[in-house]
Amino acid sequence: MVGAVDARLKELKIELPRPPAPVANYVPFVQSGNLIYLSGQIPLQDGKVKVVGTLGKDLSIEQGREAARLCALNLLGHLRNACGGDLDRVVRCIKIGGYVASTPDFGDHPKVINGASDLIVEVLGDKGRHARFAVGAGTLPLGAAVEVDAVFEVA
Amino acid sequence: MAGRIATRLNELGITLPKLGAPIANYVPYRVTGHLAHISGHGPVGADGRYVTGMVGAGVSPEQATATARIVGLQLLSALSDACSGDLDRVRRCVRLFGLIYCRPDFTAVPAVMNGASNLMVAVFGEAGRHARTTIGARALPMGISVEIDAIFEIA
Repeated sequence: MVGAVDARLKELKIELPRPPAPVANYVPFVQSGNLIYLSGQIPLQDGKVKVVGTLGKDLSIEQGREAARLCALNLLGHLRNACGGDLDRVVRCIKIGGYVASTPDFGDHPKVINGASDLIVEVLGDKGRHARFAVGAGTLPLGAAVEVDAVFEVA
Repeated sequence: MAGRIATRLNELGITLPKLGAPIANYVPYRVTGHLAHISGHGPVGADGRYVTGMVGAGVSPEQATATARIVGLQLLSALSDACSGDLDRVRRCVRLFGLIYCRPDFTAVPAVMNGASNLMVAVFGEAGRHARTTIGARALPMGISVEIDAIFEIA
């Protein structure tokens, strides 16, 4: 039987990526009690960073949003593994942290990180609504434009 | 009798540094339930002064990796205090968050952060493997090269 969240993903025509392996000596997630801590994800797709650059310099807000959305897809891919394949075990998204590679005068970090927040709410509905911060970073791993990490509660 | 982790530290030739006092109105760590949240720590060198400088501008990636390890030792010192001196109470390292003070074109921040990640795995083995986020920062307190905060699960 297909789970409710998997059915919703299908409705949205979203195929979760096979989540990328960490780029260094750490793991994609750690569970402590009912909390899953997910490592920061960058907009990797098919082994490549899809959105490289700096907001306020060489990328539009729309490109930044797309990058954030890809980060969120990678987060959900790892989360599915963390739940043993069953995303219906997700109780709620607690918090996401959004990091935007940007120039010192850039101020639209929230609009960029909405790309991740919107995707999570689209997929998980009310359970997807979360606390959040969005900040500017000087640089991000592999030149990525955006990085997003998250904490979820699972049953 | 020396504990398992104390023995391991001894094997690795590690003496934990003295826990420094926070530089402002906060505490080095807080424990809630089984989680110990450790404040962001900076690298205190052998001379008792902070290790400062920008990666890619006077500080090499290798130096910065060694600096990240020093920050890892500060975190362990705070963690030890949180465990009343008994690191055998540590169940796992849940998450590290690393900020690397670097040039705007330096994107190899994951390799720098490995200095801390590798230390956790060396000390705790499998239980040291953690979720992680690393970003490049445009500035850090006092010009330190690396700042890291952490969450550990303790018994």
